[in-house]
Amino acid sequence: MADYTAVKTFDYKGLPCPMPIVKMSQEISRIAVGEVGEVLSTDPGSIADFPAWAKTTGHQVLDIVQEPGLIKIYVKRVK
Amino acid sequence: MDLQQQYELEKLFKTKLHQAMRFYLETCTHCGLCVDSCHVYNSMPELRYTAVGRSEVVRKIFIKYFKMQGKIAPWLGETMEMDEFVLDKFYEAAFSCTGCRRCMVHCPFGIDTQQIMSIAKLLLVGADKEPKILSMLSDMSINKGEQVEESRAQYAEAIKNIEPEVEAIWPTPPGKKTIPLEVEHADVLYVALSGKHSIISAAAIFNAADINWTLSSFEAVNFGAFLGDPQRTKKIGNRIIAEATRLKVKTVAIVECGTAFRIMKQQFGKLPFEVVTFVELIAKYHQEGKIKLNKVMTEKVTYHDPCQIARNAGVYEAPRYILNQLSDDFVDMIPNREENWCCGGGGGLVAAGDFEFRMKSSKVKADQMKKTGATVVATACENCHSQLHDVCGYYNTNQHVEFISHLAAQGLAK
Ligand code: SF4
Ligand code: SF4
Repeated sequence: MADYTAVKTFDYKGLPCPMPIVKMSQEISRIAVGEVGEVLSTDPGSIADFPAWAKTTGHQVLDIVQEPGLIKIYVKRVK
Repeated sequence: MDLQQQYELEKLFKTKLHQAMRFYLETCTHCGLCVDSCHVYNSMPELRYTAVGRSEVVRKIFIKYFKMQGKIAPWLGETMEMDEFVLDKFYEAAFSCTGCRRCMVHCPFGIDTQQIMSIAKLLLVGADKEPKILSMLSDMSINKGEQVEESRAQYAEAIKNIEPEVEAIWPTPPGKKTIPLEVEHADVLYVALSGKHSIISAAAIFNAADINWTLSSFEAVNFGAFLGDPQRTKKIGNRIIAEATRLKVKTVAIVECGTAFRIMKQQFGKLPFEVVTFVELIAKYHQEGKIKLNKVMTEKVTYHDPCQIARNAGVYEAPRYILNQLSDDFVDMIPNREENWCCGGGGGLVAAGDFEFRMKSSKVKADQMKKTGATVVATACENCHSQLHDVCGYYNTNQHVEFISHLAAQGLAK
């Protein structure tokens, strides 16, 4: 069981390049430091993009959950 | 700005002073023939948005620091000292220029304003004044290259999950994988973008043509080029070159992304593989009889030449050839090919630019699209697609924008 609860969902399904990452960078401030957000994506590239974004910006990807047609990425705001 | 920083920026400027750049900076006669070439100036007629106007501040710095006149008689008024004001002017000039190079076509000396703007962009990076979103995206791409192994299994799962969408367009040939990964000696390494739309149509076309292909682990776009940072540009491109070399592929096909294609084709010297834009392959497969295309389009269609694929890399006919297989009602925009108006979103403006500016500076593009009478605007670049989609909405052109690959996949026939 995940030991976190997402406080907000960021729906980035079907956005063109590079909008999921641009939006995440802008919208991470909508959750508080220490909180977790759930990103919904349909981009296979998100699997590597979000961890690389987290490494670049100092945030954290806690988990990636895949379902047919949907990728859920759990992002913790660190700063 | 202190002397040390001025010195550091002067050193950076010097790294850009190859022979052609000196020619661009020394030769302008201020004839003004480039003025009407710029879509920004045409849409928002202010002198700062002309090619010659943008370059002036870079030229003044060049004269001040690298020409005798600047050293012995700077009071002549042709020079400026490197300071914060200059950096602000660099930003305004460089990030309102899409690097489309339409002005270069009209300049009697072939002066490349995009190259001159690359000096301004590099100095902004050096002064830590670049658009932060572009440096972040560049560093993200570089980090992705360093940690690609960690996500390989999950990426394979994500790819598997979209395979039914490919098979819904075209059945996978027996014994083949729908979306192959990590195939050594493949004929084609296809480098897509993060979005599944950039993979699905292409996979269906490769499978219909029964090609030995493999999908890259990386996204094709090179944010380092938008940023104007040669080091980051190199690192981002090198990820794909290393992958293509490791897999020993014959051809690297770049997704419909103009900058990704031009940078890979023109800025990495001689490579051990051929570089093409995916639309060239679609046309080739059709010409070789490997795929058939039906005339499935019922609406009038026009084509937007992406600057980095057409004017700046010479690919004009392949997309038109494909559209003419799909439609009996194709009409060119006026002007077109080398003279086409930029979409207004190049140079990193879609990611970093201000929406209102992007829209206002594209009025000439909206007018040009409307005049065709077409309801479909096809293009071969993700950046152009995003920008034109916004432009169509902003100016109510009643048109929708489509990728060539998507239209071709819809037209695939037995
Ligand atoms: S490169 Fe394009 S946007 Fe830049 S000045 Fe020339 S015409 Fe204008
Ligand atoms: S057309 Fe060329 S020479 Fe004339 S003003 Fe423009 S850049 Fe200068």
